Amino acid sequence: MRDRKGRPGKLKAGIKYCGGCRPEFDRIAAVKEMKEALGEAIEMVRMDDEEADFILVVTGCKTACVDVESLPLKAKKYISSLSDARRVMEELANKTKT
Amino acid sequence: MNKLMNAKEYEESLRKLKLKVYMFGKRVENVVDDPIIRPSMNAVAATYEYAHKPEHEDIMTATSHLTGKKINRFTHIHQGVDDLVKKSKMGRLLGSQTACCFQRCVGMDALNALSITTHAIDEKYGTEYNKRFLKYLGYVQENDLTCDGAMTDPKGNRSLSPAKQFDPDLFMHVVEERPDGIVVSGAKAHQTGAVNSHEVIVMPTITMREEDRDYAISFALPSDAEGITYIMGRQSCDTRKLEGLTFDRGNMFYGGHEALVVFDRVFVPWERVFMYKEYDFSTMLVEHFAAYHRQSYACKVGVGDVLIGAAQTIAEYNGAERASHVKDKIIEMNHLNETLFCGCIACAAEGHREPSGTYQNDLLLANVHKQNVTRFPYEIARIAQDIAGGLMVTCPSAADLASPEVGKWVEKYYRTRDDVPTEHRLRILRLIENITMGTAAVGYLTESMHGAGSPQAQRIMIARLVNMKHKQKAAKELCGIEKGDQVS
Ligand SMILES: Cc1cc2nc3c(=O)[nH]c(=O)nc-3n(C[C@H](O)[C@H](O)[C@H](O)COP(=O)(O)OP(=O)(O)OC[C@H]3O[C@@H](n4cnc5c(N)ncnc54)[C@H](O)[C@@H]3O)c2cc1C
Repeated sequence: MRDRKGRPGKLKAGIKYCGGCRPEFDRIAAVKEMKEALGEAIEMVRMDDEEADFILVVTGCKTACVDVESLPLKAKKYISSLSDARRVMEELANKTKT
Repeated sequence: MNKLMNAKEYEESLRKLKLKVYMFGKRVENVVDDPIIRPSMNAVAATYEYAHKPEHEDIMTATSHLTGKKINRFTHIHQGVDDLVKKSKMGRLLGSQTACCFQRCVGMDALNALSITTHAIDEKYGTEYNKRFLKYLGYVQENDLTCDGAMTDPKGNRSLSPAKQFDPDLFMHVVEERPDGIVVSGAKAHQTGAVNSHEVIVMPTITMREEDRDYAISFALPSDAEGITYIMGRQSCDTRKLEGLTFDRGNMFYGGHEALVVFDRVFVPWERVFMYKEYDFSTMLVEHFAAYHRQSYACKVGVGDVLIGAAQTIAEYNGAERASHVKDKIIEMNHLNETLFCGCIACAAEGHREPSGTYQNDLLLANVHKQNVTRFPYEIARIAQDIAGGLMVTCPSAADLASPEVGKWVEKYYRTRDDVPTEHRLRILRLIENITMGTAAVGYLTESMHGAGSPQAQRIMIARLVNMKHKQKAAKELCGIEKGDQVS
């Protein structure tokens, strides 16, 4: 696995949260869990970081009212539940292994 | 350059104001650090801090239609239904984080109502209020200011119009016209967050007739303008905040405040006057403001979230959480609270574009929502008190729990379970007390009742806004009194 700049292994994920008015799961804890599980393989950065390889859109519920139109034109992975977070985590773990 | 202030910068900006504030009969020299006022400052500061948090900025910020720059949503003019919906969500979010009135919504609602009304006055009279207003709005957005939305006059005898009161100052009015501006006198009562505000935006409080022309005025002033005096309102249990940071205050961080704001011959330059004797637009301004502000009671859903969380916690501490009636009461609290959320989302989702370009929420649904707000928090509070048990109002103070002499008795006899410290039980009870009958009950209960208009004000609007003919037509057609296009 190579990142956008051709570097091996490490991925940069831009994080965009929804506003969190009535989250159905702890968005911050889920991202923290991902960070810890993926360790060195991934770096979480602000969503507007130019170096981000893709954007993780983390929404507290399935309404996902987050303003995605204003986000940079990059690949996006959506997380709106704990199971989404675990699925994306596995996907990224597999990617960074290869 | 637009600046998005953070909590610290906001606090520093308040220190520069030279407000004339009185409390308990004395002038308050240091408003920002006063222990009674400080929690309310913290609550407004949260509206700044949350705009910087990545996990909340999507709700807390918006894009200015004037500059295209990122601004705090509290200074934004709604540009679509999405903005209106996010406004409701912001209210719930901040209510759930502060468990009190965070004070900044009323200024946002005044700005939005003025953006519509100034445009409408100009259309009719060829005036230039909207241009002035937009310049002022640019200033507010650029400096990320907190504005007090000042509508409610003392009103004197409620059965008399402004011009018929025995004292002309019972409604805000113009007392002198000068080449460079006007001089006003009067007062605004119950002003939320007044001494935490950089600006005060004055609007008429009721429909004015021709005889009330001098009272049909709207303007904005810096909160420390010469001639303005603030007299702080008392809240029940307010002096507990003088006892230091003990858990007896219930909410350890946040609170709200209201004040009587007196304008004693205050000069307003023309560029800050947004309505001047156009009495025929007073109703429009009041109704648009009221609809926005009735939506703003989305914050009570957030406070409800905290109260429900506290009720569930005390039920668990008391070992009563598995009782079927307790479970059912928690369901009822959630049902009522989410019903309130439905109302504030619905009136936003059904919003429309006004000729000025501003989006207005649905007036009927906003009034229905606020009518529910005058009732449901009381029921939620009643259930919370039921679940809490009597100790909420009879428990000894934090000082007693800490006392070397009697602390051990408080600890022993108010302990419910070996895995729950007595102090935790007392803390959660004090929070429930705070929200349902202490300082925060001002916001959660009485503000829910009267803020943005007493219940009858909404009932009048509901009667006016429902399309009764449409309902009657449907009924008459279906029973065959009138002919419609039903399938037979
Ligand atoms: C905590 C709190 C915060 C507030 N914050 C703000 C703020 O930030 N800015 C602001 O401008 N205002 C604010 N308000 C004021 C709020 O809008 C008023 O309380 C509300 O409009 C009711 O006015 P009042 O309190 O004078 O009650 P009153 O007008 O005295 O009403 C009392 C009762 O009399 C009835 N009544 C009154 N007049 C008549 C009449 N003519 N005919 C028939 N019945 C009548 C009412 O329906 C009500 O039942 C706040 C109020 C509270 C309690």
